[in-house]
Amino acid sequence: MKHTIPEQSAVVPELETRGMHLATGQLKTFFPILQKGVMVPATVGCTLKSLLCDQLAIPTDYVTDRITTIFVNNRPVDDLEGTIIQDGSRVTLSAAMPGLVGATMRRGGYYAALRQGISHIVERGAATSQRGTIRLKLFNLLLAEIGPLILAHGLILEQDELIELLELSPVRAARPAAGSGRVLLTVICNE
Amino acid sequence: MDKIARIDMGAAGGPKVTVGDLGEYAGLGGRAMTSLVVAAEVHPLAHPLGAENKLVISPGMLSGTTGSMTGRLSVGCKSPLTGTIKESNAGGQAAQVLARLGYAAVILEGKPVGDDLYKIIINKDGIQVIVDNSLKLMDNYPLVEKLRGEYGDKVAYMTIGSAGERKLLAASIACTDPELRPTRHCGRGGVGAVMGAKRVKAIIIDDAGMKMRPPKDPEKYRDANRKFVEGLRKHPVTGEGLPAYGTNVLTNVLNEAGGYPTYNFKDGQFPGSAKLSGEAQAQLEIDRGGTATHGCHRGCVIQCSGIYNDKDGHYLTKQPEYETVWSHGGHCGIDDLDTVAMLDFLDDNIGVDTIEMGVTIGVAMDAGVIEFGDKAGAIRLVEEVQQGTPLGRILGSGAAITGKVFGVERVPVVKDQALPAYDPRAVQGIGVTYATTTQGADHTAGYAIATNILKVGGDVDPLKTEGQIELSRNLQIATAAIDSTGMCLFIAFAIMDQPETFQALLDMLGSFHGITMTGDDVVALGKKVLSAERDFNTRAGFTKHHDRLPRFFYNEPVAPHNQTFMMKDEELDEVFNW
Ligand code: SF4
Repeated sequence: MKHTIPEQSAVVPELETRGMHLATGQLKTFFPILQKGVMVPATVGCTLKSLLCDQLAIPTDYVTDRITTIFVNNRPVDDLEGTIIQDGSRVTLSAAMPGLVGATMRRGGYYAALRQGISHIVERGAATSQRGTIRLKLFNLLLAEIGPLILAHGLILEQDELIELLELSPVRAARPAAGSGRVLLTVICNE
Repeated sequence: MDKIARIDMGAAGGPKVTVGDLGEYAGLGGRAMTSLVVAAEVHPLAHPLGAENKLVISPGMLSGTTGSMTGRLSVGCKSPLTGTIKESNAGGQAAQVLARLGYAAVILEGKPVGDDLYKIIINKDGIQVIVDNSLKLMDNYPLVEKLRGEYGDKVAYMTIGSAGERKLLAASIACTDPELRPTRHCGRGGVGAVMGAKRVKAIIIDDAGMKMRPPKDPEKYRDANRKFVEGLRKHPVTGEGLPAYGTNVLTNVLNEAGGYPTYNFKDGQFPGSAKLSGEAQAQLEIDRGGTATHGCHRGCVIQCSGIYNDKDGHYLTKQPEYETVWSHGGHCGIDDLDTVAMLDFLDDNIGVDTIEMGVTIGVAMDAGVIEFGDKAGAIRLVEEVQQGTPLGRILGSGAAITGKVFGVERVPVVKDQALPAYDPRAVQGIGVTYATTTQGADHTAGYAIATNILKVGGDVDPLKTEGQIELSRNLQIATAAIDSTGMCLFIAFAIMDQPETFQALLDMLGSFHGITMTGDDVVALGKKVLSAERDFNTRAGFTKHHDRLPRFFYNEPVAPHNQTFMMKDEELDEVFNW
């Protein structure tokens, strides 16, 4: 099946789509790549909040209460509405972290001053909405909790990456032929 | 805890034990006890390995009670590594057991003449100091195994390995965990070398026949402890993140922030970080039949530790902490958890500080002794320390000495103590604490993140530049106070975010001692401890010029943020201006 990323994607205009069903217990197969970072299709030019809540379908209160540490392009973020996601942005999501540095990295935290100089700076002005991709990483508690949402949304993988993943996977899905080109993989986790 | 034991190791005719009341030290415990004793009784210009230095061992103010998280043990002295005052603390069982025997402090004084090695046995009948030369040059694991044969499994052991006996400056003091493994170390500052200089190899603490320390108001104490535990359990960091992944959960986050010092502080990100992460480590531990959730002493409800098994499912070491995984991992360009775990075991066995040892290996790599990423080479170098070869003695004396011997310019130390796992060019506020702490570069010196709720220093606007100085000051005050309670510093998140959990902590302290405790009292205690420590350091010859980071942090920008350390000297000088 061919899946087209609509409009003017600068990155991947057309992708082969593969679907996979996974028992929740098998989800951990995907933790290493979610932790290292995966390419995800997205409408970019939006706010970080819109990306998380509207596109990735993460509940708003979960974003507010649970995803307390966020990086965009290696910069800790304080303002979800003032952070604009661009094509190719690297977005990393984590739960609250221990220790002083954990507290320092926390979104809008009391110790944010301690990381002055690397914090994400709020961008003002209009952004153009267009299709593109982001690189998304999930850490720690979020892997199990919102990993299924990200997998259902779909990951863009190189054919080789997909083959490697399927080798490790307990699911006996049909292996694609090795080759170049990218695949959009959607994974549905069953209870 | 109504008595202090002083053991004069250099007394004529052999070691002499004197047990007295608390006197001017009444009500103190932990770091407050160790620092106030050292500041008052040790000559600031004393040689740290000489007879004039004292090794003060003190359980926290709430240790030995039914209270949760109360098992930290403080050890203090003049540090042979830094030349400053030193407090180094650890978990394990020793604090609880010593406190139940009623000792607020055990102080090793003097220095024996001759080569005999001693063990000290502390139990309800008193204290015995016995010559035992059969223990000579034993390392911690076999040493504890041998002592268990004699003293059994219902005691706590404090020991030094061969590094302490050789008086190496990175030497630690090991405290046994509930399984009687020597895995919890008073690591920083070379406290093990001071114990070695006093020729004390092991302290065996046996609380048979003793009861839990009774609170003045038992009902209130029980109630406060229940609320405190509830607070720890419901907080995402203390109730979920730390139990699931341990402190190594920070690897991914620091790497993402570009604050993960790599290849001896040449880069802020390590390509192999995902392989070293807490997430990967926890999964590996579980897959191999170990555990990612384990307490270092009974009564810990957070349980940030774990058991790391080798490929065959046999115990290798306790779960290496974030700082250890960093120092032996990314700092040295090594991305293999099994290598890091083996190095953690070797460090614990020989009895050296994992931060100092790992940073030293990285400095040696920078000097070209071995290549960055050389896993077998790193193990070989630590084995040199174990064997006491000339190279091993240099490495076991820490990063500053090793840097000098090999002519390395980039040596990440403050007051000759190795920096921990956070690059101060990325997280500038941490650099303020590294530079100014009384202890030499030490991440825990400003760890008690509950300053907002403690109201240390009043309300600070954390978004202003001056905030960094103010915050560092407040953090150091709060940490000095919490280090005195015997509480593990990891409680800080829950008390920062949940006022009712902080109140429960105050109520525990208050109901135990039959007083009303306020945030102001905690702050006053922290300031008293820090003032005594600063005063000692001043008398020992330290000035504001020692409160600086090495120059390369000011001159070499680090990727990915390409920043240098930008805090001005005059700003650093304001930290202790209260
Ligand atoms: S939280 Fe960790 S360091 Fe603290 S007492 Fe528990 S196991 Fe020990």
